[in-house]
Amino acid sequence: MNDKEILKIYREGGREQAFRLLVQSYKERLYWHIRRMVLDHDDADDCLQNTFIKVWQSLDRFRGDAQLYTWLYRIATNESITFLTQQQRRGEQTGIAAAERLSSDAWFDGDQVQAALHKSIAKLPPKQKAVFNLRYFEEMPYEEISRVLETSEGALKASYHHAYEKVKGWMKEEIDAKY
Amino acid sequence: MNEQQDILERARQAGQPFKAPEGYFESFEDRLMARISAEAQPAASTSRRLWTVLKPALALAATFAIIFGMGYGVLFLTHTLDRGKADVSGYATVEEELIRPVSIINYYQSEGESEEEGDIDEDSIVSFLASELSYGDLTEIYAQSF
Repeated sequence: MNDKEILKIYREGGREQAFRLLVQSYKERLYWHIRRMVLDHDDADDCLQNTFIKVWQSLDRFRGDAQLYTWLYRIATNESITFLTQQQRRGEQTGIAAAERLSSDAWFDGDQVQAALHKSIAKLPPKQKAVFNLRYFEEMPYEEISRVLETSEGALKASYHHAYEKVKGWMKEEIDAKY
Repeated sequence: MNEQQDILERARQAGQPFKAPEGYFESFEDRLMARISAEAQPAASTSRRLWTVLKPALALAATFAIIFGMGYGVLFLTHTLDRGKADVSGYATVEEELIRPVSIINYYQSEGESEEEGDIDEDSIVSFLASELSYGDLTEIYAQSF
């Protein structure tokens, strides 16, 4: 079922039914997006639930001028950034501790290169991390990322370029240190 | 494409390194709806608890406000009436202590002026003398005039 059909059910009074369909359609995509941001499964689960609770609470205010997909990604990304920022305020380096634990994480079966990649991405500031992930992993067009993050395309391209260079350098350091 | 970009590309093409616990996505929806229901209920009971706690304090505050309002009203009315009385007595004092002697002095000073003699009629003079002068004074004036 596509977004238009879900919204039609919602407008015809089927609020809970539409919400359940929306959860079914987007839970996996949003989970993987959040998981790459926060790395830990339990943290990702919390963020995903918070995302859908916010969707449930503000579905009435969804104006429909943005795509449902963009709106959901915006809420999920903001939820992840908020989580990482709170970690930072508590004095923890955003995601770095979780990245260090990746090799022993039961829910991670990547190789050394993938572990080095996620450890390097974890060093990026939260918003730049979101730009990098949306472009690098999801291959989302800049135009779409611009709508999700409410940032100009020019700024996003520059941000992604800098992030890419930083990640590349950190990966090199990580791999050189191992081998 | 340089060596490091190859590494980045290889990492991406290797696929998804993360896994989710088995059955996680299947049970997610039910857990989510349970959490939404659970969060909706305490919100209602929290507002009820808050009202229960605040109710006696609000009642006490309202009682004080009413008592204060009534006291203030009584004081205000009493003060207004007292001030009204003081004003009346003030006017009486001015009339007795200031206006009457001044009128008498003016009368005696202007006694010889021909201009004012024409303005005062006979009845006023008789009335004034009767109210302001004693019987002895009047007898003396009467004796001098003949």
